[in-house]
Amino acid sequence: MRRYFLILLALLMSLTTLAKEKIIVNSYMSDPAPRKAFAELVDIFMQKYPEYEVIINTFAHEDFKTLLRTWLAAPKGTADVVTWFAGERMRYFAQMGLIASIEEVFAGQKWEDYFPASFKSTCSYNDKIYFVPQSWYWWGVYYRKSVFEKLGIKEPKSWDEFLNVCEILKKNGITPIAIGTKFPWTAAGWFDILNLRINGLEYHIKLTAGEVPYNDPKLMKVFEYWKQLIDKGYFLANHAAYEWQEGATFLFRGQAAMYYMGQFIKDVAPAEVKDDLDFFRFPIIDSAVGLYEETPIDGFMIPANAPNKKGAIVFLKFIASKEAQEKFAKDLGRLAANVQVTPPDEHANKGLAMIVASSGVAQFYDRDTNPEMAEVGMNAFIEFMQNPTRITSILNRLEQERKRIYSK
Amino acid sequence: MNRSKLTPYLFLAGPLCMYSVWVIFPIIQTFIVSFMKWDGMTKMKFVGLENFKRLITDNYFGLSLMNNIKWMIGFVVLSIPIGLALAMLMDQKFAGHKIYKSLVYLPMALSFVVIGQIWSWVLEPTGGVVNTFFRSIGLEQFAKPWLSDPKIVTYSLIAAALWRQIPYAMVLFLAGLKNVSKELIEAATVDGATAIQRFWYVILPALRPAVIIATTVNIIDSLRAFDIVFVMTRGGPFYSSSVMANYMYVQAFHNYRMGYGASIAVVQFGITLGFIISYLLNVLKKEERE
Repeated sequence: MRRYFLILLALLMSLTTLAKEKIIVNSYMSDPAPRKAFAELVDIFMQKYPEYEVIINTFAHEDFKTLLRTWLAAPKGTADVVTWFAGERMRYFAQMGLIASIEEVFAGQKWEDYFPASFKSTCSYNDKIYFVPQSWYWWGVYYRKSVFEKLGIKEPKSWDEFLNVCEILKKNGITPIAIGTKFPWTAAGWFDILNLRINGLEYHIKLTAGEVPYNDPKLMKVFEYWKQLIDKGYFLANHAAYEWQEGATFLFRGQAAMYYMGQFIKDVAPAEVKDDLDFFRFPIIDSAVGLYEETPIDGFMIPANAPNKKGAIVFLKFIASKEAQEKFAKDLGRLAANVQVTPPDEHANKGLAMIVASSGVAQFYDRDTNPEMAEVGMNAFIEFMQNPTRITSILNRLEQERKRIYSK
Repeated sequence: MNRSKLTPYLFLAGPLCMYSVWVIFPIIQTFIVSFMKWDGMTKMKFVGLENFKRLITDNYFGLSLMNNIKWMIGFVVLSIPIGLALAMLMDQKFAGHKIYKSLVYLPMALSFVVIGQIWSWVLEPTGGVVNTFFRSIGLEQFAKPWLSDPKIVTYSLIAAALWRQIPYAMVLFLAGLKNVSKELIEAATVDGATAIQRFWYVILPALRPAVIIATTVNIIDSLRAFDIVFVMTRGGPFYSSSVMANYMYVQAFHNYRMGYGASIAVVQFGITLGFIISYLLNVLKKEERE
């Protein structure tokens, strides 16, 4: 009798697991820290909603970018929720009808109950919401406090001070600026911030929207400033051989002092270095230009072909909640998109303060630009970093590409 | 048709079916897509020869093609003679020749992805074995940024690939050497031929089929180079180490230009086919002769 009872129990148990609705989440959070934070977040969700079983498929960041399209375009969808970036890169899929609007997440409530009103446009297409923001972060010049202290360097505020800091570092045998451009987006960060400091946000947005020619004389100025750093050898040598994390190890080992990077550099920093990392606002070049910064927003969307849209909405509703946003932001020191969550630590407070005091924000070159333009653009930036004298021909070539790509 | 005639076709039916689904059909599809403008998601649009016209003016495609040619020259000029030399050496039954043979042969057991990873560490500019070695013996000037200098990056990649390609050629030649008649060599020795004459007039002509196979295989391998480039540089910096297959991947799967990517694949297919046909003709001619 007891045996039958056990078999019956086993059957029932397997039935309940079968009865659990599956939600499949494809994620690019492949660095150990965010991966762990996200897995814990999903565990909390499953405890709260035992009727669902969430399966996370994690992909390396760069692979994810190419794979996403095949999932979205497949006649039969496999993923219910995917991680992605707000802005142009999300809209690209929205305008093709490959992702589903997620207005239902806010049913009976408003966007503003959850997220800042200023985020709404980057998360929407044609006045419909397609994107649930999870966290956002700032870009700044990250540096080693101990190195600055030892050499008596103060955070530079202006371009001249910045050049001076680089010079002192270089004289002391430390690479002033770390960078790894095997994947070229790190160079795009430099392009963005220099353009924002020199030509301002309005011009930058027009450029990334493909409305400004790349051989515009105003843009040339950006490369003239950039060239000052290259000519003096302030950037890490052979940076094209390194991925961004490999470039960061020079900073972590104290062989390099600064890295213009997003807050997520802290995700990969070893524990003993983490607290020695601080950042300052990228120095002012033209005081007539407002202080604009880069603040990419990361989050989730639902593919139009998702097998379990209902479950996906429930999951995203949880992701949008104060509880979930607080947990993720706290684990990673990022800023939660949810307005009710306060910055998790001093460092994030400082980041938030910098952004609040800015005149405006951009996403990032490859998030604001058409993907094809971004690919040729970013490769051109690397070519420029290695051959600064070729800039005129590089920009003319980019202009030809811009004409071709945006004439479609 | 009687039963014995039908049997081979029945056995072939399965493989042929699979071959059509996974090889023939995709090839046909690639040809069709190469005349289209397609982002992989929305509807295809017929554009005629537009993609091919654009290829002609595309500097990066030209660069990739040139790099493929460098690969081809590197493979044929280096892996064939070195492979042959190694095979001749290993064919001497010196002490421990089996161990040496396995050591040389070892890279063949690794996939290109693993080889690419190993060599990116070996060629790493600051702590890599190669540069550390040069610095330690005071030859600082030879410590180069192997994978980030656009002028040398392609050669670094070819070197990494040769690590696997040379033993491959060696194996082909070792097999070929087994077929060289020992009596012929002995007869030549008796007639007073020197070692060089024996090699040049007896062994090499007998190895002709192996040389043709090794050359063709190397040419085809050089044309389809992808894995090592993808793992070690992704075609960078700024496309300087790009090869056709890699450029096709970037265009099709990164830039969402399926049609353009397909046209690159078609060109690559055409070039490879040319070499395969000339190889097959060679084999057929030889069979007729025999």
